[in-house]
Amino acid sequence: MKIAVCVKQVPSTTAVIRVAADGSRLELAGVETVVGPYEEYALEEALKVREKNAGSTIVVVAVGGEEAGKALTHAYALGVDRAVLIQAPDADAAAAAACAAGFLKAEKPDLVFCGRQAIDDDQWLFPGALGEALDLPHVTAASTFELAGASATCKRRIEGGEEVIEVKLPAVISCEKGLNEPRVPTLKGRLNAKKMKVETKSPADVGVDAAKLAGGLKIERYAPPPEKSPGKRIEGKAAAEAAAELVKLLREEAKVI
Amino acid sequence: MGNDILVLAQHQDGAVKKPTLECLSVARALAAATGGKVLAAALGPGAAKAAADLGAWGAASVLVGEGPALAKYSSLRWTRVLAGAVAKQKPAALLTSTSALSRDLAGRLAARINGVLASDCTKLSAAGGRFTLERPILAGRALVTASHGGDRPLVATLRPNVFGAEKPAQAGACATETLEVTEDAADLRVVVKEVATVKSERPELSEAAIVVSGGRSWGSADGFKPVFDLADALGAAPGASRAAVDAGYVPHSMQVGQTGKTVSPVLYIACGISGAIQHLAGMRTSKYIVAINNDPNAPIFKLADYGIVGDEFEVVPALTAEIKKLKEG
Ligand SMILES: Cc1cc2nc3c(=O)[nH]c(=O)nc-3n(C[C@H](O)[C@H](O)[C@H](O)COP(=O)(O)OP(=O)(O)OC[C@H]3O[C@@H](n4cnc5c(N)ncnc54)[C@H](O)[C@@H]3O)c2cc1C
Ligand SMILES: Nc1ncnc2c1ncn2[C@@H]1O[C@H](COP(=O)(O)O)[C@@H](O)[C@H]1O
Repeated sequence: MKIAVCVKQVPSTTAVIRVAADGSRLELAGVETVVGPYEEYALEEALKVREKNAGSTIVVVAVGGEEAGKALTHAYALGVDRAVLIQAPDADAAAAAACAAGFLKAEKPDLVFCGRQAIDDDQWLFPGALGEALDLPHVTAASTFELAGASATCKRRIEGGEEVIEVKLPAVISCEKGLNEPRVPTLKGRLNAKKMKVETKSPADVGVDAAKLAGGLKIERYAPPPEKSPGKRIEGKAAAEAAAELVKLLREEAKVI
Repeated sequence: MGNDILVLAQHQDGAVKKPTLECLSVARALAAATGGKVLAAALGPGAAKAAADLGAWGAASVLVGEGPALAKYSSLRWTRVLAGAVAKQKPAALLTSTSALSRDLAGRLAARINGVLASDCTKLSAAGGRFTLERPILAGRALVTASHGGDRPLVATLRPNVFGAEKPAQAGACATETLEVTEDAADLRVVVKEVATVKSERPELSEAAIVVSGGRSWGSADGFKPVFDLADALGAAPGASRAAVDAGYVPHSMQVGQTGKTVSPVLYIACGISGAIQHLAGMRTSKYIVAINNDPNAPIFKLADYGIVGDEFEVVPALTAEIKKLKEG
């Protein structure tokens, strides 16, 4: 079985994000980056499928700049077979999906694992767009994955319940928390990763016209989340009194209950 | 491309969901700016029934797709049917609310119709042939304002409860049109086999007007009961921090935050939640935030409109009693 995983290197979840004073960009230089947490589920699931299906290989793809190479080194440390960086530092999710599709068209994987969302742009766009470009079905946010021959069964949480989805391979699966417990690289794995080479390609190498990478949303400006003026605080009062005061505020001032 | 705004309605057996009404309100404002009409599309069982409501909320025309081929949601079939509608109607934008369905559908649909996707928008307007939108990125640590014009349709999903829904004083006539739905075996490459719904009297977390959440400090599954009691007294949806979910007090479906659900209720009450950045990611666009915490320095207070510094085990039951008094009185 040929398995592909798409990974993105993103600012760590706790990193403080600064916006340039003129709002023109995010100041990301020096911000700690990590492999996206959902991509960790994707990598783990790929490793599990390979373990259960002798002769399988895993190719990992990242579309991005130099920093994205770290995600691929991490993937090598986990023991994947091949890692490919498609150099397109400014690609948004749609452009990245186009690049990944360009590469994967020739690879013809049986399974492509992605995360449910890249936790920087939070678009939830890439897996569906990739499926579309490759003409493969996709499943979003699978919280279980069970392979049975040429198809797989996944569960997906929806409002007020859960769907059981059956998908025929080849397919694109985006991974949700709870799918598995991602392993951490061993020391041996990390040493080994140093010896492995990340292949680099340009968008043109995978048949994508670099001029077409832009043309999606035009970013006008960034802003930090609005500052809130300090709220009203009820302190040093007995519970009943504090509760009564809060209810009064919610009713008469905020008018929300 | 035309100037119409197409809303993909989300409904349950014909009962239109409130976030869809918000989309229709936004669509009316956009259409006023583009000089186009508001169109709606409803697919699946009950779609024809939904049409009347969609008309009352401002749709000039509703495309209705029903029948066995659309009996259950299917990303490939929905994409094909909607792409057909888009090809015919040529809307400038397609709107729907952020939900499990649109999270699955929007990326694929946008690619199929050569559209440009903006997910989970918190602002959207139109002027001078361009759409301008705002969306939180990096789990709400920044907001990006982006614009889109030109001949590719905008596909935007809108965060529920952010925009508000206003019914037009006078709805115009609403035409309905039947969408042609054909079978295609290729659609069956991915099928929803089964939908297990958890029957609940409580409102759905991501759509609720009021959310009451609890954290790790409640100590156990049983210990969490006062959070449910307060939620029930308020008719609210109960939620939780990841720490409470990971500790096994409550199911993951209740988790609010970066790796859980995004909620944007009118009122969010955080009971014993510290306010970690990943939790804030899931609730920071709530209109009013209340924090109850015994640590006056808990980060959640920075975001709270109202806070009680006190012991949750005393304050939360007292609040429940107070609310009950109010509702009964
Ligand atoms: C990749 C990643 C993703 C994550 N995603 C999420 C997510 O989606 N959602 C989420 O919530 N978290 C998420 N987290 C976890 C997050 O960082 C925090 O660990 C978590 O939110 C803490 O939950 P908590 O506030 O319940 O617990 P704690 O941080 O332990 O806080 C407990 C709070 O309760 C207060 N308290 C204790 N006793 C009482 C009392 N008697 N009365 C009143 N107050 C009391 C304390 O003062 C404290 O503020 C994520 C973390 C990572 C790394
Ligand atoms: N630039 C990229 N390179 C490789 N994979 C990506 C990239 N962007 C997104 N993905 C994959 O698509 C998933 C969803 O991302 P998004 O649609 O951007 O929220 C991520 O979890 C990754 O698996």
